[in-house]
Amino acid sequence: MGETRGGKRWNFGANEVVELSCSQNVRYFLNLLADNLDRSDSRPVIPLGHGDPSPFPSYRTDPSAVEAVCDALRSAQFNHYSTTSGLPIARKAVAEYLSRGLTYQICPNDVHLTAGCHHAIDVLMSTLAVPGANILLPRPSYPMYDSRAAFSQLEIRRYDLLPENGWEVDLDAVEALADEKTAAILVINPCNPCGNVFSRQHLQKIAETASKLGVLVIADEVYKDITFGETPFVSMAEFADIVPVMLLGSISKRWCVPGWRFGWMATLDPHNIMKDSGLVHSLANVLNMSTDPTTFIQGAIPDILEKTKEEFFSSVLETLRECSESCYEEIKKIPCITCPYKPEASMFTMVKLELSVLEDIKDDLEFCCKLAKEESLIILPGRSVGLKNWLRITFAVEPELLKDGLSRLNKFAQRHSKKKQQP
Amino acid sequence: MSEEEAHANLAVPAFRTEKVAKTQTQNGHGTVWRFGGADKAAKAATVTLRGVIYMLFDNCSKDVKKTILPLGHGDPSVYPCFRTCIEAEDAVVNVLRSGKSNSYCPGAGILPARRAVADYLNRDLPNKLTPDDIFLTAGCNQGIELVFESLARPNANILLPRPGFPHYDARAVYSGLEIRKFDLLPDREWEIDLEGVEAVADENTVAIVVINPNNPCGNVYSHDHLHKVAETARKLGIMVITDEVYDQTIFGDNPFVPMAKFASIVPVLTLGGISKGWVVPGWKIGWIALNDPEGVFESTKVVQSIKQSLDITPDPSTIIQAALPEILEKVDKNFFAKKNKILKHNVDLVCDRLKDIPCVVCPKKPESCTYLLTKLELSLLDDIKDDIDFCVKLAREENLVFLPGEALGLKNWMRITIGVEAHMLEDALERLKGFCTRHTKKTVTETESPSSV
Repeated sequence: MGETRGGKRWNFGANEVVELSCSQNVRYFLNLLADNLDRSDSRPVIPLGHGDPSPFPSYRTDPSAVEAVCDALRSAQFNHYSTTSGLPIARKAVAEYLSRGLTYQICPNDVHLTAGCHHAIDVLMSTLAVPGANILLPRPSYPMYDSRAAFSQLEIRRYDLLPENGWEVDLDAVEALADEKTAAILVINPCNPCGNVFSRQHLQKIAETASKLGVLVIADEVYKDITFGETPFVSMAEFADIVPVMLLGSISKRWCVPGWRFGWMATLDPHNIMKDSGLVHSLANVLNMSTDPTTFIQGAIPDILEKTKEEFFSSVLETLRECSESCYEEIKKIPCITCPYKPEASMFTMVKLELSVLEDIKDDLEFCCKLAKEESLIILPGRSVGLKNWLRITFAVEPELLKDGLSRLNKFAQRHSKKKQQP
Repeated sequence: MSEEEAHANLAVPAFRTEKVAKTQTQNGHGTVWRFGGADKAAKAATVTLRGVIYMLFDNCSKDVKKTILPLGHGDPSVYPCFRTCIEAEDAVVNVLRSGKSNSYCPGAGILPARRAVADYLNRDLPNKLTPDDIFLTAGCNQGIELVFESLARPNANILLPRPGFPHYDARAVYSGLEIRKFDLLPDREWEIDLEGVEAVADENTVAIVVINPNNPCGNVYSHDHLHKVAETARKLGIMVITDEVYDQTIFGDNPFVPMAKFASIVPVLTLGGISKGWVVPGWKIGWIALNDPEGVFESTKVVQSIKQSLDITPDPSTIIQAALPEILEKVDKNFFAKKNKILKHNVDLVCDRLKDIPCVVCPKKPESCTYLLTKLELSLLDDIKDDIDFCVKLAREENLVFLPGEALGLKNWMRITIGVEAHMLEDALERLKGFCTRHTKKTVTETESPSSV
């Protein structure tokens, strides 16, 4: 029970489960690094630690999307409470959007609109949290899944993404980890934080493995269409016939509007497996009590999805391609850092620290703290996403800013490298 | 727009099945599928209004050649007469076009928005709030979710009013908080039964929820009564969670007194938002304000719990957060006055018509919120056994939907939504009158005492 000054005894206090599940997520590390910044450094801080390019001019959203929202708002038709799962016109528009390139049409009733993909994760974890259940998450991961799973008291089991194999899923590990209480496997494709895209063959193997194990696939495709390399993106939706798929996505990345809080989850379940197990019913119950995306954004969705011009998307992709190339090339010049796989998607790349060539730095956290202090450069320590002694670098910023940042990284690395032995 | 079109925007709830979640099913190939759905969501869902409302809509029919009048649940925002003020719309459009509303926000909300809420609330408060005391939520309902999750611990119980707002019940069940009810007393203008509160509270009680102005009763609590509530809560060692979302929807004589005025007696957690005041529930923004000059929330770590929950729960859109300062500062008082005048007029209209309908009685005119509670005099009716039966038959015969009080914990009462266009209420009361006349017990012979009717 809580105590307070004056000796008065109060009967309420904190929820310990919340405390445990929130330790050390991305925000925690970003705050920690910000605390290390040297205020007397006159140079601007270069933020290569988080994943939101929307403030930068090259990533400013398409004006037609803005006008679509303004129109919806001014119509005064969208100020009311939303229906559970979203307005029918918005669900239909998202279903059509997701069905592009598929051999089948996703049904609007299978599409549930959420306040961003984070909300979808929130709802999904709540829905799957049957007592004793466990979930398979990748390492490295997107830590919101970890926090949210812990909060719902789902046991987390981790499988590795293999850097030597282009960050593919270690399917042997998946089979070894799963048991009769495993509910689902999370697959993030294109990958945050590794920046790779899974091949069609590999996705099929994942689907077949999941099917064999009797687990559903959570396909987080929030970076769908944010690809700029050789590997074409293939949606897990194509394998819904093999295994039930819970497809997650949003407009946040493609339109650079994470602040608009609009995402979705689609239950792809042609054999009614999720329905028969009661999962769909449970999902409806959770959604019924949960918040919704802003109604006027929903009202604008048909126009946003259908009318945004290709030029906007290609312009953003071009900037990302340029940045990813630049990042990869610059990293090659830095001896204490290796990038095992050239990024071809998302906004991030994972690079390994060679601590043995560094003088006075013992791990990734110390590296990043000192980097913040000495160079006003923020890069995320790999431990925040599950890989100690790696780094996650965000390249989705203005190209000039990225070059500047990587140059500071290079200087820092040189300064801290072990001096060569005198002959 | 036509009436039908307006109604089309009203959220009609998703159908609730009775199916229980299984944890394993087999498909034809012998695979055992290992996932199922969480039970607690199902349990929570049974206490929402949606099931009842849907059932009543189901009883309406095209054969009754009258438009459906949905006066069982409420969302005034679909009716043109309640359209929000132009200043609020302008604020949002300005923010959208500025390009400054596209980024992620911190979990607690952006500072200008938190500051604006603190300023808005501080106008009426002796103990001033700082922006740090304010947390933004994705709607007031999400605020309830967050607070209950933050307070949940083994064996904890929470005191909820009866009649009440069923979302509280649903979220309490979902968070594993035991619910204990206290009554609002109809013959004391819906004041809280404080003796009842003391009787049900124990060492595991964490909070009492007070809704003021009150949904569904429509009363506004007096300064004295709230003072007594604060002292009772202090005596019991519990916080007061006060839901003040109707603070700008008042049309009677009693002034609104924020519970935070008594924060030096007991820690007060205030839930609020713009959804009802500005008639924009679809904009999905609300707030939690911690009124706590003694620092109790800090020392009991409730603040920490709330902040951590905010990091992993959905956020309000940056658009509305960025627009909030302008919305709160620039509102034209005339907008509230106009809205509240319509509601007052609707209340007067309904009460006037009810004079001719003896079996439906409104003992106390509401002076806030958007509902009117009536008591059913079932003894005057022939073949109607309770409020649910009344409402089902009313829906079936007249395509008129009112909410049976049972859904709010008040058996044999009935709730009428008055946040609608006036002509809908005229029509509704006509139909109600017809229905009641048809179902009234006939007097038997001249020798029967007239007072038996």
